[in-house]
Amino acid sequence: MPAPTNKESDDLEKSIIKQLVAVVGEAAVLTTTEDTGPYAVDWRRRYHGRPLAVVKPASTVEVAAVVKLCADNRVAVVPQGGNTGLVGGATPDESGTQVIVNLSRMNRIRGLDLVNNTLTAEAGCVLATLQQAARDSDRLFPLSLAAEGSCEIGGNLSTNAGGTAVLRYGNTRELVLGLEVVLPNGEVWEGLRGLRKDNTGYDLKQLFIGAEGTLGIVTAAVLKLFPLPKGRATAIVACETPRQALALLSHLQANCGERLTGFELFSDYCLGLVLKHFPASQAPFAARFAHYALVELTDTLSADRVQSVLEEALAAALERHMIKDAAIAANESQCRQFWGIRERIPESEAAEGRNVKHDVSLPISHIAEFIEAAEASLVRRLPGIRMVTFGHLGDGNLHYNVSLPQGMSPDAFTGVADELSRIVHDHAARLGGSISAEHGLGQMKREEITHYKSAIEINLMKRIKAALDPDGIMNPGKVI
Amino acid sequence: MKVLVPVKRVVDYNVKVRVKSDGTGVETANVKMSMNPFDEISIEEAIRLREAGIATEVIAVSCGVAACQETLRTALAIGADRAILVETDVELQPLAVAKLLKAVVDKEGPKLAIVGKQAIDDDCNQTGQMLAALLGWPQGTFANKITVEGEKLRVAREVDGGLETVILNLPAVITSDLRLNEPRYVTLPNIMKAKKKPLEIIKPDALGVDVTPRLVTLKVVEPPKRKGGLKVPDVQTLVMKLRTEAKVIE
Repeated sequence: MPAPTNKESDDLEKSIIKQLVAVVGEAAVLTTTEDTGPYAVDWRRRYHGRPLAVVKPASTVEVAAVVKLCADNRVAVVPQGGNTGLVGGATPDESGTQVIVNLSRMNRIRGLDLVNNTLTAEAGCVLATLQQAARDSDRLFPLSLAAEGSCEIGGNLSTNAGGTAVLRYGNTRELVLGLEVVLPNGEVWEGLRGLRKDNTGYDLKQLFIGAEGTLGIVTAAVLKLFPLPKGRATAIVACETPRQALALLSHLQANCGERLTGFELFSDYCLGLVLKHFPASQAPFAARFAHYALVELTDTLSADRVQSVLEEALAAALERHMIKDAAIAANESQCRQFWGIRERIPESEAAEGRNVKHDVSLPISHIAEFIEAAEASLVRRLPGIRMVTFGHLGDGNLHYNVSLPQGMSPDAFTGVADELSRIVHDHAARLGGSISAEHGLGQMKREEITHYKSAIEINLMKRIKAALDPDGIMNPGKVI
Repeated sequence: MKVLVPVKRVVDYNVKVRVKSDGTGVETANVKMSMNPFDEISIEEAIRLREAGIATEVIAVSCGVAACQETLRTALAIGADRAILVETDVELQPLAVAKLLKAVVDKEGPKLAIVGKQAIDDDCNQTGQMLAALLGWPQGTFANKITVEGEKLRVAREVDGGLETVILNLPAVITSDLRLNEPRYVTLPNIMKAKKKPLEIIKPDALGVDVTPRLVTLKVVEPPKRKGGLKVPDVQTLVMKLRTEAKVIE
């Protein structure tokens, strides 16, 4: 096919936009730079794209028609939800030829089955809205993460989002029973089954969960609900080392069982950042310690019993010198203040200056070794570098971020960022870990992953992509 | 000097309160209960006075059902030296509580009572004032800052538009406001110590107080649900609706 001339390509663009308008209406097709701007840049403002148009369909039928139209014209489609991703997975390239399909208008809850304990929601539902809908019916939808007030379930599904309750309830993948997907040719796969057992061949929904929109567009899902806990108890526990925190994790798992729902780790440097940038926050202890674990138990039976379960388990740990001290929330407001400290780390880190973010996961047994080894290598490479160590220790996921040394210019630091990330990723890989635990690959780690996955694994992924999307129109340039 | 701090067990501030279906009260079965936040502030203030060498002993008192012992244990974990529960299953109203507290004051002889300005369940804002009246002590309500100056107490009070400073003679009653201090978190070693601190249980009869309610609750109902808003197409329609439906303009 000869390359189209400028005029031909202009005409083609106009014709596509006209057809898109015919499908979804004029108000739902954005084309000017002012209108498309917020959709064309990612959450962290690292990737700036230029889309041909942003289309906002309101139904599965409209999504299917839009994708069919794009497929017929070989126009690339970039699916997008709340646009809170951290790896540029929902940002188009700068060619001006890709169409962003934003699912935000598909925000209906289609059904709530309290006997089956399922909720059927469209892709554009904001996560917090679903959590509230479940709570209003005395149920729990456990997926919980920092962006829950603006991220959308379609994006959570497409990135297999993790968050703070993975230890107890699993990743998004484990919370899904069925999907409705618009395939790259515009066909609709109606897979909205609410079954906990369904061994009828390949489990196709799993292909689309975590695919970051490269195999199709998830338009709706059947999600699992759980009993709403009646009580929760939260503590910040002081530990000398990550190793000590890991010992505490095992101790709590052995003594509190499935009641243990949260186990987060953060270093004293992180606490210092939060206290500095959020002066209204209160330090958990009069003294400072090297590391802290934020621990949470929940219980579906009673409102108060869980408090004494936590106190007893921690008292045993203190008597055995497994921990240095523990602050226990005396009421729900203090629970929220404790979580507030943990949740404000990323913002405090951003306020402090340039940093390089990581999202590694490790077998829990190797986390302490990873932290020690990676820190030693990083300090050797860049003396004065500051470790911003925090993460979901309970599920093996660390946001092992690093901040520039005091006095270093941000640009010089950015110049060595890739090298620093390689050090971190090499250590993670050496210890059997992953370089992307919960954020996905997007465009940020697409090249990086080729260093860590075998040719066989990459090849299998490419064959799946080719089978479902032979023309490569779904979110090109992401994942593989 | 001894400091007396009453603490009340209430439905946790963050729990959405639900009215019982029969309209007799609010649901407290299997609901998270905590110390009234203003009482937490009172305890913290008393501990700070002790840490400053002004108070010699901090006594936490609660009036109510046996489960109030948990609230007293929290007070002990924050740092109170000992606790007293005046145990009764009778529904307690502010006057009855004030009479019970007066009896405890007569028995223990504190020079200062720091009372929460109100409890977040009934929002009465009466107990501290009634206690001061029954004792014949001066009162400094809505305290934002307190300073002990010999036999006098300087209290900055939160009033409309600013702070008012009063000087009281001890003994006195203070009611604490939100900005008096930021209570500390309770730590595990202190929770463990609190389990060994003395907690005395007495009955209203032993204090010679009749706690029979003098007010009758007729019915508890939820506030009416807010009606949804609506969009109007233009100014004319808005004016028309304000006139004919909302009836707020002529």
